[in-house]
Amino acid sequence: MVFSSALIGLREGLEAALVVSILVAFLVKTDRRHALRYVWPGVAAAVLLSIAVGAILTYSTAQLSFEHQELLGGSLSIVAVGFVTAMIFWMRKASRHIAAELRGKMENALNVGPAAVLLLSFLAVGREGLETAVFFYSAVQTAQSDTIQPLIGFVIGIVLAVALAYLLYRGAVRFNLAKFFTVTGVLLVFVAAGVLGYGLHDLQEAGFLPGLTTLAFDASNVLPETSWYGALLKGVLNYSQQTTVVQAVAWVAYVVIVLPLFLKPTKKTVPAPAAAAVKE
Amino acid sequence: MFQSPKTPLAVLAGVGVLVALSACDSTGSASGPAGAGGPIKVEASDTSCAVAANTANAGNLTFEITNKGSKVTEFYLYAEGDRIMGEVENIAPGLNRRLIVEVPDAGKYQTACKPGMVGNGIRGDFTVTGGAAKQNDVNAQKSEATKSYATYVANNTSALETETAKFVDTVKAGKVDEAKAQYATTRAYYERIEPVAEKFGDLDPLIDVREADLTPGQQFTGFHRLEKDLWVTGLKPDSGQVADKLLTDVKDLVTKTKTLQLTALDLANGAKGLLDEVATGKITGEEETFSHTDLWDFQANVDGSKGAIAALRPILQERDPALVSTLDKQFANVQALLDKTRSGDGFKYYNQLSPDEIKAFASAVDALSEPLSKVAEVVSK
Repeated sequence: MVFSSALIGLREGLEAALVVSILVAFLVKTDRRHALRYVWPGVAAAVLLSIAVGAILTYSTAQLSFEHQELLGGSLSIVAVGFVTAMIFWMRKASRHIAAELRGKMENALNVGPAAVLLLSFLAVGREGLETAVFFYSAVQTAQSDTIQPLIGFVIGIVLAVALAYLLYRGAVRFNLAKFFTVTGVLLVFVAAGVLGYGLHDLQEAGFLPGLTTLAFDASNVLPETSWYGALLKGVLNYSQQTTVVQAVAWVAYVVIVLPLFLKPTKKTVPAPAAAAVKE
Repeated sequence: MFQSPKTPLAVLAGVGVLVALSACDSTGSASGPAGAGGPIKVEASDTSCAVAANTANAGNLTFEITNKGSKVTEFYLYAEGDRIMGEVENIAPGLNRRLIVEVPDAGKYQTACKPGMVGNGIRGDFTVTGGAAKQNDVNAQKSEATKSYATYVANNTSALETETAKFVDTVKAGKVDEAKAQYATTRAYYERIEPVAEKFGDLDPLIDVREADLTPGQQFTGFHRLEKDLWVTGLKPDSGQVADKLLTDVKDLVTKTKTLQLTALDLANGAKGLLDEVATGKITGEEETFSHTDLWDFQANVDGSKGAIAALRPILQERDPALVSTLDKQFANVQALLDKTRSGDGFKYYNQLSPDEIKAFASAVDALSEPLSKVAEVVSK
């Protein structure tokens, strides 16, 4: 009981924690700590909103129809993909400027910053927040009437997700800058591809897109979502054991287009330690 | 500092959308599905999916899923063609989760638990009945039923008027044998629609009172008075007047039935009432105590009951097909017994029946009365 609930908490919490931790790491790495004050309000707003709407749905007669729920989840996912993509290229651009040590230019490059940072952290958390909040309330209700185990498991899972994200952050901060950008950028490309696929799958479930039963593959037996590694994969990359053709095509297309663009060598890429003189 | 005011606005817009959506989808009832008495319990395990009910009325359905298994499960409600009506994911072991899903249309659905969130799940058929759109259908069906029965009544009353006029003429002409031959066949039209006639408490006794049932001071008029004259006492000086009065009353009845507004429930009760008439009057031989033409009335009562059921048939077929086949079987059973007693154009006289034949009639009528008594309940559902 505890274990399976913990996996759910881990899975639901991981993606958001991951994106937020990369964002924070990036801001810290690039000496833009002042932008952190945009991260936490975004995260907090999403958490509070999820909790509030979850409470409304749990304790009142209001309800979201299935279609609306999926439409919302699906649309938010696709918006989030847009933002993560923007962030990937923003990081890439920024890294070039950092490498060139052009601080003034970097300010310009980052003027998308605050809005993007705030919204990205909001979306990263808010996308799965609603389902997670409703799950959380169910666990609370079950704890009151029946058994506290699912609630304990869920909390363990969330804590674990946050801990993993923190470790990633600590690890990421240790990388030298060039490597940091490459690694986190590539990771984010795959995260975004997964979010895109997941969002499309939501829209298929709600019947806005066809092809829900047309599967590209079914790895339920090989790599089940209920296993810890399956849950990790799902949490980080939005892996799904039954992937529809639409999902698979979108995922492949995204990776094939964005990854080369991201990895394309920029002009004048200089290893970070070999810093040029600061131009006034 | 925010670079643009767009950011908080976007967040606010997101909040707004969510709240608006929840408001749109709000339901007025706090206690689960309308008229279904709370949520439908689903007990899921790793190998089973026990849904407490497999039917519900259209509207908002609430399923309460408890996962008693060891795997995380999901619960789905599918419409035909596996269209997802609603789903709950992440039902961890030990957890209770609710699915509230709006099902506006009646039809065939499927429930599914997916232990381990794998595959097509453990399916179960789920039928949704009624519904707002269907309610109109029901009303339409009912008005269709009463309309078609009204036609049946009209056909019989107009024949009753024609035949009564002939019978009265024959009586007034003093042709006793001819009148005797017309008596039972004329009455058949009355007996078929007796429940309708009985809605007119003043006319029914004038037309159809039995001598044995007369209250002190009540005049003996109508069919049975003429029956007594024809078969027992011979025509009397006032037989002609009685005959004229009968025709006037019948015409009055026919006029009045034209404006009668019946309900589907009236039809159901009438169908049953006719069989009660058979049981209490015809099988005992009390109705036609002078002419012994009880079996003609018996046949007419059964026909009338069949007529009402035929009008209600579409409704019954939809709601309780089993009842329809039972009724068909029992009607056929009674008819078979009646057919055995046919003689010439008509039937045996009651005083020619053996006790065994009467007993067989009684049990066949009982067997038909039983399902007929359920019709009203099914119709008023």
